[in-house]
Amino acid sequence: MTNNSLREAVRKMNAEVCDQCGKCSSACPVTARVEGFNPRQIIAKIALGKEGDLMKSGVIWTCTSCLKCKERCPEKLSPYDLILDLRRIAIDLQLPHPEGYDESVKAVVETGAIQQPQLIRTRNKERKDRKSMGLPPAEKPKDLAAYTQTLQEILKEEKA
Amino acid sequence: MRYAFYLGCIVQSEQYGYEASVRAIMPKLGVKLVDMPGTSCCGFPPFSSVNELAWLYSSARNMTIAEEMGLPIFALCNGCHLSFVETKHKLEYDNELKAKVNEKLAKEGLRYEGKIELVHILELLHDKLGKEKITEMISRPLKGLRFAAHPGCHAIRPSRIGRPDDPENPRKLDDLITWLGAEASDYPEKIDCCGSSLAVASGKTVLNIAGDKLKAVKLYGFNGLVTTCPFCFKVYDNRQRAIQTVIGDKELDVPVFYYTQLLGLAMGVSPESLGLDLNQSPVDPILVKVCERAIGGD
Repeated sequence: MTNNSLREAVRKMNAEVCDQCGKCSSACPVTARVEGFNPRQIIAKIALGKEGDLMKSGVIWTCTSCLKCKERCPEKLSPYDLILDLRRIAIDLQLPHPEGYDESVKAVVETGAIQQPQLIRTRNKERKDRKSMGLPPAEKPKDLAAYTQTLQEILKEEKA
Repeated sequence: MRYAFYLGCIVQSEQYGYEASVRAIMPKLGVKLVDMPGTSCCGFPPFSSVNELAWLYSSARNMTIAEEMGLPIFALCNGCHLSFVETKHKLEYDNELKAKVNEKLAKEGLRYEGKIELVHILELLHDKLGKEKITEMISRPLKGLRFAAHPGCHAIRPSRIGRPDDPENPRKLDDLITWLGAEASDYPEKIDCCGSSLAVASGKTVLNIAGDKLKAVKLYGFNGLVTTCPFCFKVYDNRQRAIQTVIGDKELDVPVFYYTQLLGLAMGVSPESLGLDLNQSPVDPILVKVCERAIGGD
C-alpha cells in the first residue's frame, strides 16, 4: 500500500463528495473518548491530501471497527475503509503503530493462529484446557511450512 | 443440516464455553457440525489492518477448505464471518485480485472458487432452524428473566454487503431470547460497540466503552446480557472485574451469557456441558433460578 494507492482508493470511493455532515463522528464510540480521532475530520484531511499527520500521530489505530461510520454515511463513503488504508500505508512506511499488531502477525504467520489454546480459569479457580472440556485438538495448517512461506512472501512483496 | 464448522482463533484458543455450548446443542437440533481440517486465522483483525492481500488470502484459504468439503461454512465468530463475507464480496467483483489470491493459494495446492455459502449463528438459529424447531426443544423455560440482546457490530454492519440482521433495528437475537420463555426488550445502547478491537491500542478505552453499556444494562433492570460474539463476550464477561476497577463501580454485576449457553439450559443440558463454569461474570444466581443449583465458587 502506498500514498498513490490511497489516492486511488479515495478516487474510487469518491471521498471528495463528503458533505462533512458529521453523522460518522456522532456515531463513533471513540471520537468522544480519544482526542484527535474524528472520522469526519479524517475524511476531510485525506480528501485534502493531508493524511501524513494522521499516520504519524498514531491516532488511526484507535478505531474500534464498529462500522457505524460506514453504515450511516449518507454519501455511502466509508471512513473505516480509508482508516484501514492509512494503517497499511503506515505499516509499509514503518511509522509507529501498536506492538500488538506485530505480535499477532508474527503468531499467525508462524502458527496459523493469533494465539495458541490457553489454560482458562473457572469461577472455582480450576484450570480448563480443550481436552478437559472434551473439545477436539485445535486446528492448524497441514503444511505449516508452505503456509508460513506464502504469508512471508505476501508481506514482503507488498512492501516493495 | 450439515455445516463446515469454523471456530476462529479466539474461540478455539480460549472461549471454550461458546464452542462447548454450540457442540452440545446443535446435534440435538438436528445440525451436524463437521470440523474443518487445516484451518487458520481468518485474517481479521491483524492482516486487515496491515496487508490487504494477506487478509484476503487468509479468509479465502479457509473458504477453500469448506469448498473441498462441499459444505457451507458456519463461522462461529462475528469477526470471522464478516471477514469471509467481505473477502467473498471483494473477490467476486475483482478478477485480478482473485487471480492473485489463487496464485498464493496454489502453493498449498488450494483453489478458491467463491461459491461457498456463509452462515452466521443468528441465521442458523433464527432463519434456518426457526421458532418451531427451537421452541419444541425447550424443556426448562427461562420464565421471569429479562435479557438485553447484544448482537455485536459485525453481525449487523455493514449492511451494504449483507449482514444477518438489520443495522439499526436488529431483532433476531431478541426473538431467539423470547423463544426460550424469557423476555427481551429494546434499550438505547443495544447496537453500540463493545470496543474490543481497541484492546491492542488502548485497553483502558475498551473498558470504559464496555462499562457504559454494562451500567446501562444494569440500570434498565435486565437480568443479564446475551451475545453471540466471542470478542464482545470476552470484554463484557471475562473483563468485567477490570471494568469495575476502571470505571470505579464495584457494584457492577451483570451476568453475561452466550446465547447458546441459555438455549442449552432451556433445553435441559447441564451447566457444566455448556461451559458455564468458565463465565467470569456472576451467572450463578441465574443458574439457581433456572436449574436450582450454582456451579461457581465464592
